[in-house]
Amino acid sequence: MKEILRLCIVLTVIGAVCAAVMAFVDQKTKEPIRKSLSAEKMDAVKVVIPPSDNDLMKDSIVFNEGTPDSTRFYRGMKDGRIVGAAFAVVASGGYAGNIEILVGVDTAGAITGLEILKHAETPGLGSKIATPEFRGQFKGKSIKDPEQWAVLKDGGTFRQITGATISSRAVTSAIARGLESLEAHKAEVLGTAAPKAGAPVKPAESKPVEQKTGSGGGK
Amino acid sequence: MGAAKEFTKGLWSENPIFRIVLGMCPTLAVTTNANNGIGMGLAATFVLVGSNVMISALRNFIPKKIRIPGYIVIIATFVTVVDLVMNAYFHPLHKALGIFIPLIVVNCIIMGRAEAYAAKNGVFYSLLDGIGMGLGFTISIVVIGAIREILGNGTIFGAQLMGTSFVPFLLIILPPGGFILLGSMLGAMNRLEIRMAKKAGRTPTFRKEHDCASCEIFRGWFGERADEAAERL
Repeated sequence: MKEILRLCIVLTVIGAVCAAVMAFVDQKTKEPIRKSLSAEKMDAVKVVIPPSDNDLMKDSIVFNEGTPDSTRFYRGMKDGRIVGAAFAVVASGGYAGNIEILVGVDTAGAITGLEILKHAETPGLGSKIATPEFRGQFKGKSIKDPEQWAVLKDGGTFRQITGATISSRAVTSAIARGLESLEAHKAEVLGTAAPKAGAPVKPAESKPVEQKTGSGGGK
Repeated sequence: MGAAKEFTKGLWSENPIFRIVLGMCPTLAVTTNANNGIGMGLAATFVLVGSNVMISALRNFIPKKIRIPGYIVIIATFVTVVDLVMNAYFHPLHKALGIFIPLIVVNCIIMGRAEAYAAKNGVFYSLLDGIGMGLGFTISIVVIGAIREILGNGTIFGAQLMGTSFVPFLLIILPPGGFILLGSMLGAMNRLEIRMAKKAGRTPTFRKEHDCASCEIFRGWFGERADEAAERL
């Protein structure tokens, strides 16, 4: 009995000390991690949209805030005129976990750049979604022709990665979803002419929420 | 045993992958290219050295009966701390190694060294053991990764190696290819060890440990010639 008690106490002490260490480290690293993630995102935004000179962090619009469809658009301006926008989409149909993709578009709604922000696909196979070869084929494409937004295997126009069709499919459909959402809010985001007849805007549901947060403020 | 031997044993005579055959899960999973090998190897080495030192320092405090759960908690804590600290202060490094860090938890080399070495030896020797084993692991998976990358993708460290007429041997990158290559390499290593042992006039290390000559499979394979073959071991 005494032995069991001793073992219990030792294991409890080990567990408690380890928990305390992790809690302490988590507390200390929370803010730096959040900052570096947000800085990384901003760097990615700069890469995918046409050259701009505004503070991208401050100039963003959120639609359907608080709902699962919530999308944040970062607008790039040059000399006070909108040159493009970037938005992040999450692909849930990947092989391992969610894939976070940042898409940049010009004022016409055509893709100017693409970055994979986060993924956990199989190294060497699915991880190739992050290669320039795969990402490059989306450049210049827009949502004008919805049937094309699929991989070759499914009758679309985009080359899937050999051995990683699931990952390729997930990325392709997520981008298409993001572009559709952009099409629906095109007027507000890009400040261009009214959206096409095929994509009606429902103003009641999608009130733009102007975000004027401080320089360190993320989502 | 000298300090130098504690360090070098992980590189060849007790190489964690080809000799002890531990840590097969990360070995097969991430070795689809050489860069992954470096990433996984360095991340695992870092955790291995830290956990070896910590467990060695605590070895007299942890009672024998609860050492395994104790080690698991300590190693898991170490992995979590490494992950968080790296993410916060060495973000580019974390971006490169980040996907491997959770995989270290399933790396039995860490647990194996804690149980087989750090729990019985001093802090300094445990440190050397950790570094040697970690490097042995890193070199091994980089070699496997390089072979798989060259054959399966025509590249090495991401740089194009083969000409345009090269048709990638896709199988080698897929999971079965990992098993096939690893098995072939284990066989080749054994063969090499036999040769080296013969030249030096000593018993091959794997024979001592695994006692191959008395194994059913060995007997079945060689049939009547088993004794003759055992001589050649």
